[in-house]
Amino acid sequence: MRKLFNIEKIKALSYPAFKTLMIIHFLLFFLVILIVSRQHITIPGFSIKGLYEFPNIWKFFPWVASWFNIFLTIVLITLVGNEFTYKTFRQNVIDGLSRNDLVKGKLILIFSIAIYTFLMVLLAVLIFGFLKSDEISFSKMIESSHLILVYFIQAVGYMTLGLLFAVVFRNNGLSIILFLVYFPVEGILRLFFPSASRSFFPLKIISNLTPKPEFLTIASEKSYTSDSGASLLDFSEIGLLPEDLPLGITVFISIGYIGFFIALIYVLMNKRNL
Amino acid sequence: MDTVLKINHLSKNYGNIQAVRDVSLEVKKGEVYGILGPNGSGKTTTLAVVLGILNANGGSYQWFDEAFTKLARRRIGSLIETPNFYPYLTLWENLKIVATIKNASEKDINYALGVADLLKRKHTKFGHLSLGMKQRMSIASVLVGNPEVLVLDEPTNGLDPEGFAEVRKIIQSQAAEGKTIIIASHILDEVEKVCSHVAILKSGEIVANGKVGELLSSEETVFIQAENLYELEEILIRSGLASKIYMKDEDLAVVLESDHNSTELSKFCFEKGFPLSKIVVKKQSLEDQFLQLVK
Repeated sequence: MRKLFNIEKIKALSYPAFKTLMIIHFLLFFLVILIVSRQHITIPGFSIKGLYEFPNIWKFFPWVASWFNIFLTIVLITLVGNEFTYKTFRQNVIDGLSRNDLVKGKLILIFSIAIYTFLMVLLAVLIFGFLKSDEISFSKMIESSHLILVYFIQAVGYMTLGLLFAVVFRNNGLSIILFLVYFPVEGILRLFFPSASRSFFPLKIISNLTPKPEFLTIASEKSYTSDSGASLLDFSEIGLLPEDLPLGITVFISIGYIGFFIALIYVLMNKRNL
Repeated sequence: MDTVLKINHLSKNYGNIQAVRDVSLEVKKGEVYGILGPNGSGKTTTLAVVLGILNANGGSYQWFDEAFTKLARRRIGSLIETPNFYPYLTLWENLKIVATIKNASEKDINYALGVADLLKRKHTKFGHLSLGMKQRMSIASVLVGNPEVLVLDEPTNGLDPEGFAEVRKIIQSQAAEGKTIIIASHILDEVEKVCSHVAILKSGEIVANGKVGELLSSEETVFIQAENLYELEEILIRSGLASKIYMKDEDLAVVLESDHNSTELSKFCFEKGFPLSKIVVKKQSLEDQFLQLVK
């Protein structure tokens, strides 16, 4: 494991594009949360400042960071696609790695990137949480803190799906385009299924790991609510809002999907020529 | 002598195309084994299968008399087709990856770069090298970890004559150290000068196999010229003097049966009314042998 980690470290950290993209990822995340923190939007029952206070911040920051998981997945696809483009997977096998080692190496890379983004969000939560919360108590501070672990699972989920795309298509451009196209395609596919089963699609379930914070939901729905208080739009029906699957089940199914993607990757890497 | 590589009835298809068919061969420890064949004859595919890059459709292979494990892989240094390295990494970084895989030290990296004369370029990115230097880098990567067996697929690709000679020198020095070397090439001179054994592949099949010396000394070829060469060719075919007759350039090449010699051939032609204007006896080169086999 240590050997595979060292190999992946050389491959990633010595790749200028990887370093640049990771710095951009870091800056973009902090830029977004800084810009939002300077907005002064007031809706009855909602304020921007509230998003940065414990415990709301545990929901808001992972939700913001979840958008950048797609960015991280594209970085991962690029790294894996390079292995096929430059035939370096072949060379690694020639030099003494097994095909399973190649998969393990990339899973180590996925977990390393997920740990990095987990730590980045944790750091941001702690900094902004302490700076912006009016009253800090331990119970408030740790309430909803488990959501950052769920965010970690989501990052692993997106990147594992990205790895599957890279292994199937073996081409950077094609894998990235098809990965991005898969988002609307799955959204359209879901419409052909009964609403009860829509939440079980892989992307849907993985994206539901970091649902839109409740207070943002309230804010969005208010603008579509009639004077009598009835909602003019069924957000769940059109897929804008997550359906009401309990978080525990969502996590469980997501881990199942991650396991399924990994199994498929192992099969493909062992069955196909390098 | 210990067997390093044993291939049994190996086959590999690409869709409907059978790239390798029923190839069997055995490489013993210390041999410099050449796999010779024209482009597309299945040399690279055979090596790629036995190195685990491609999956075989039939047959089997063993390295060091056992299944091909990770440990076995690390005893082999291989170069297949083109140099496969990360263009954005330096030579040192690329070889560091190889060394990590093979549990080799940094000293090994320096040694390999030194042998390939790339020590001064170790901080250059691989993508910035010329084709010849890339090929030398491949040779360096093969040597990392001091493997017992070297598998080299077209090792002199892209090299100038000087580089060609250098690579040949490296191969010969490694062979002198007792290493087993397997070289696939379509360059006959390369194989003839460095190999002790050779297998000739044609359309994915082995058409000849043995010691280079035996393949070369088995037959003598006599190149003759006379008036009416085509008529003479017909007469010689029926004479029983020759095992093979073919045109080469302006000459008629006659491969004599082992119990006949060039004097008898000359006398026979004269008696039949075809005085020879040229008669040159040549020990058959690997090139002649190769061209006949792959025709």
